[in-house]
Amino acid sequence: MRLPKFEYVEPKSIEEACSILSDESSAKILAGGTDLLANMKHRVEVPSVLANIKRISGLDFIRQDNGAIRIGALTPLKRLYKTTLVTEKVPALSSAAASVGSYHHQTMGTLGGNLCQQNRCKYFNQSQWWRSAREPCFKAGGGICHVVNKKEICYSSYCGDMAPILLVMNAKVVLANKGDSREISLQSLFSGDGKTPLDTKKGEILTEIVIPEEALNSFSTYSKFANRESIDFPIVGAAIWSSVQRKEHRVSFTAVDRKPIRARNIESVLKGRDLSEEIVEEVAGLASKEAALVKSSNYAPSYKRRLMEGLLRSTLKEAMRRS
Amino acid sequence: MKQEIALNINGDTYELLVSPNQTLLEVLRDNLGLMGTKRGCDLGACGACTVLLKGEAYLSCLMLAMDAVDKEIVTIEGLGGRGNLDPLQSAFVEQGALQCGFCTPGMILTAKAMLSEEDHPTEDIIKKRMAGNLCRCTGYKKVIEALQSVSEQTAEEE
Amino acid sequence: MERELTVVGNRMPMLDAAAKAKGTAQFIDDLVLPGMLHGKILRSPLPHAKILHIDTSKAEKLSGVKGVMTGTDIPDRKYGIVPKAKDEYALAKTKVRYIGDEVAAVCAVDPEIAEEALELIKVDYEELPAVFDPMEAIKEGAPLVHADVQKNISASIRKEFGDVEKAFGESDFIFEDTFYSQAVNHAPLEPHGALAQYDPKGELTIWSSTQIPFFLRRNLSTTLLVPESKLRVIKPKVGGGFGQKVDMFAKDFCACWFAMNIGRPVKFIYDREEVFIGTRQRHPVYLSVKTGLNKEGNILAQQFKAYADGGAYNSTAPVMITLMGFFLMIPYKVPNLLHEGYHVYTNKPVGGAMRGHGIPQARFAVERQLDMIAERMDLDPGEIRIRNSIHAGEPHPAKFVINTCGFVDTVKKAAEGIGWAQKRGKLPFGRGVGMAGGSFPSGVSNMSHISSGAVVQLGREGAVNVLTGAADIGQGAETVIGQIVAEELGVLLEDVRVTAADTGITPLDPGTFGSGVTVRAGNAARLAAISVKNKLFEIVSEKLEASVDDLVAEKRKIYVKGSPDKGMTLSDALKAYQYGDHPMPIVGRGSWMAPTTEPTTLLKENGNFAPNYSFMTQAAEVEVDPQTGRVKLLKMAAAHDCGKMINPLLVEGQLEGSVVGGMGQALYEDVIVEKGQVMNPSFLDYGFPTAMEMPEIEAIEVETIDPLGPFGAKEAGEGTQVSPAPAIVNAIYDAIGIDFMEMPVTPEKILKALEEKKK
Repeated sequence: MRLPKFEYVEPKSIEEACSILSDESSAKILAGGTDLLANMKHRVEVPSVLANIKRISGLDFIRQDNGAIRIGALTPLKRLYKTTLVTEKVPALSSAAASVGSYHHQTMGTLGGNLCQQNRCKYFNQSQWWRSAREPCFKAGGGICHVVNKKEICYSSYCGDMAPILLVMNAKVVLANKGDSREISLQSLFSGDGKTPLDTKKGEILTEIVIPEEALNSFSTYSKFANRESIDFPIVGAAIWSSVQRKEHRVSFTAVDRKPIRARNIESVLKGRDLSEEIVEEVAGLASKEAALVKSSNYAPSYKRRLMEGLLRSTLKEAMRRS
Repeated sequence: MKQEIALNINGDTYELLVSPNQTLLEVLRDNLGLMGTKRGCDLGACGACTVLLKGEAYLSCLMLAMDAVDKEIVTIEGLGGRGNLDPLQSAFVEQGALQCGFCTPGMILTAKAMLSEEDHPTEDIIKKRMAGNLCRCTGYKKVIEALQSVSEQTAEEE
Repeated sequence: MERELTVVGNRMPMLDAAAKAKGTAQFIDDLVLPGMLHGKILRSPLPHAKILHIDTSKAEKLSGVKGVMTGTDIPDRKYGIVPKAKDEYALAKTKVRYIGDEVAAVCAVDPEIAEEALELIKVDYEELPAVFDPMEAIKEGAPLVHADVQKNISASIRKEFGDVEKAFGESDFIFEDTFYSQAVNHAPLEPHGALAQYDPKGELTIWSSTQIPFFLRRNLSTTLLVPESKLRVIKPKVGGGFGQKVDMFAKDFCACWFAMNIGRPVKFIYDREEVFIGTRQRHPVYLSVKTGLNKEGNILAQQFKAYADGGAYNSTAPVMITLMGFFLMIPYKVPNLLHEGYHVYTNKPVGGAMRGHGIPQARFAVERQLDMIAERMDLDPGEIRIRNSIHAGEPHPAKFVINTCGFVDTVKKAAEGIGWAQKRGKLPFGRGVGMAGGSFPSGVSNMSHISSGAVVQLGREGAVNVLTGAADIGQGAETVIGQIVAEELGVLLEDVRVTAADTGITPLDPGTFGSGVTVRAGNAARLAAISVKNKLFEIVSEKLEASVDDLVAEKRKIYVKGSPDKGMTLSDALKAYQYGDHPMPIVGRGSWMAPTTEPTTLLKENGNFAPNYSFMTQAAEVEVDPQTGRVKLLKMAAAHDCGKMINPLLVEGQLEGSVVGGMGQALYEDVIVEKGQVMNPSFLDYGFPTAMEMPEIEAIEVETIDPLGPFGAKEAGEGTQVSPAPAIVNAIYDAIGIDFMEMPVTPEKILKALEEKKK
């Protein structure tokens, strides 16, 4: 399975990389490559230019700055469970990183790349020949979504493992654009549109992930359920962040919608309350109402609903035990 | 357009003309005849194409050859001396940790990376690190046992 | 035994293990010939369609393309692994029958151009109504996958042993249950490939990732219209097969055809997706079992009905449905059996031989039902198995000849290994143990062409060269054969070179299937070694003034039995042989087939099926997480009677691989098909077990010494995979009290069932 042809460039700076992105309409950033190159082999992404940013220095760092933890976008996932600052201050981030793909993907893949990964769908993550059995779908440049069999929008799912835990920690991301940059909440990075899952401006590159200090001293965890205990994308992933002092509990899910979601309803029910068995049961039943579950994978929405409940229950109970 | 690059593989420098869309796996096998690196799925889901880059385990099917410039690459051909086997290779042989042998080079290189990164890995850590290397013959039992024995041996030598 | 064995019975690394660990072992894709071209195959995107027109002109014009071929170019000769069930063309001639059916092939100077060329081929199809379910396909008016096969039933069998109706009449209890065993892909790590070369004298050589070099030669000969004398099939290292490489494929035919027509070597290597969609899979089967028993729990009668979803072509169809029924007659005594089996065409990927070949599906149904019966009759599952076991030497209802049978021991030892007495029915909710038995033939007696040959040469330096046609696909056949020869000749394994699987050099062998290699090819090699030994012993007996019958060869020495001092080294013996004016090398030939009581087709009259039979019981302990539905196989205790183990290291390897393979089928694997399209044709989406899923495995030996196996050996390759899956599903019942009637038992199904149970 060969890669399509493209022009390969190694920009020397972020500014140069941003220029390439804004000048070339179908240019793509190459970081770890584990998501992009597989998609390119399937011809679902066919960039004219690949800008390899791995040779730009200063994008691979983990440091604490004014209390907040700042992580460079090119930091390999493996580093997140090999660096004491992370394993001690944000152990849930370490374990989320250790749950991504296999050891190889954790070595090659980067935090920025993981957040910016393409949405997934059983009709999309297939070879060009396989897809030729059907009309092209929205995500592959066509005009239909085979998941719902409607000419509406693309219902592919976001399946990243790193987003949920960062979402409940109210993480921010820094987007650079030709010498300029802006900091936005991680939540607003995701568009909710399956076809173009990232809500970025032309020429923008994610350079940094910021975990605010307030997130560091409370319990958080990421729980992933997949077919196998390695390699696989989550069937459902759930993260929670729970502050006993503030009586605040945050919940997020991945692989259940077109973007990673914060379960705002559940959070508002939990707001101001101490966790208890009763409350856990009360909110577990609300889990699936937070997501627009569709059959974008080989796993039924009814099953994902059960898993969302199960994971929410077990993570909240873990938080209870820890507090 | 093909471009001229130099790759450092098993301590040798190779000057090559490659297309940007060639993966490291394709260059190793098709351009250089280093056939020990195997193509199992070509999509990064089996580990048969594992090589070491600066000592770390990489999937050469999901890596551009251009991207491997300036990085010390080790393939299975680079392990063990002339006619000799690396202790990991010996353990796989002696303990029956291979059958058809197709996944074996990738397994051994992943294990190499793991053992250089982990001090005294537990069985759980060994399984976690090796889980990206699929094997359909052995059921993994003898693979894990072989790695445990090498890890213990290394610990004793220290 | 006359003496201690010194090579046979030892744990020994495979002869080629170091080469594999070094990465120097050559698999099909590692072979490169000067001027070699690369081929690719265009496959149908439609499940059922007429081919109206194929326009290859644009592809032919692409620079670098050296050849394009379609079904109209090739001879009108169908092929198939079973002679009476040939129904396939290398490239479709008039219509395509499944998504993945081969339509055209190209070859070019590099694989990238070949891939590009495929995109330039334009095929006009007329879509036809398709059928995807075998139970729909057999209905009147269903679309016909092959126009000449009514109701899409391409093979069927009805075989009765005894009088089933009468026996049901005499039964105290009758139970009837239905089961479903899913489609599973073999997924060997090495994708399929072929490389062909043609020389101007008209000789064609093909290297192929095949389990059956000699059958492949025959299939190529009849389809290419090239005599077998001009065809040479060479098997390089094969990266796993499990039955998937038992058939000829388009890559074999097209590589040869291009090589002949272009005059350059051509190589085809399948993508992983093609392996999943365009080769073979374990047949999905709908099964119903009706069992009659007396009050004591003895089986009196069984009625078995199976509908196998064969996909678009036959492959091994008649064999599969036959094996499925006949091996219901072991390991349990079934005095009366009626087996009805149907192989049904659908517009889906093709079923074929896979480790166990029809028997795991049947065993899943029977072993599950036995547990359900035990529960209903308040019997222990172990006890009901022991009570119904066949025994060596007893008359067998199907006239099988059972010389050795360790089945009862395997039940007891597996139970002991898993802690049955302390655990069954006694563990907390979510934990459970279960067991399943099994038995398997070591090859077959009653079919034509099933014999093996071997040649052994002993040179004057004491080096041994064994020529065998046995196809080592990673299981270690060459090592086992080497050990047998080394043992017989009294040399070390390191003195033996095994040259294997080259139809131009090595003697006839049917190949690796039916678990017959060790017994059949092993016996042939042993006979060849004995022939060499006898020639040498004649000379040595003169020198030592001893009778030939009293000589022993061991560890490079020949001596008189009981007097190790009275002897000579092998090296001296060979000198004596040579200087006595006897020509070198000493060559011995052997060929072997299983003794047959009658040259019968078993469908008509009863008789023995195999030279011998292995027996096994696997006992599983599982943990079920009621929150997620995840089943974790904690441990498998696997007791196996495979006769004398030639190499326990390799036997264990077979067993351990089978446990994880069986676990894959029980819990993880399923080829998911939506309107004829495989939805998970990748390692990622198919998801067979990784090291993380590996359970604790205890391999338990139950050794018997079988009179017909070489040194007492029986099969150890396929039988190991018939019982792990039902053992696991039986353990799930013990854990959560739910009887699953179909596989895989996924977390999704567990959660759903638990929810329904609550209601």
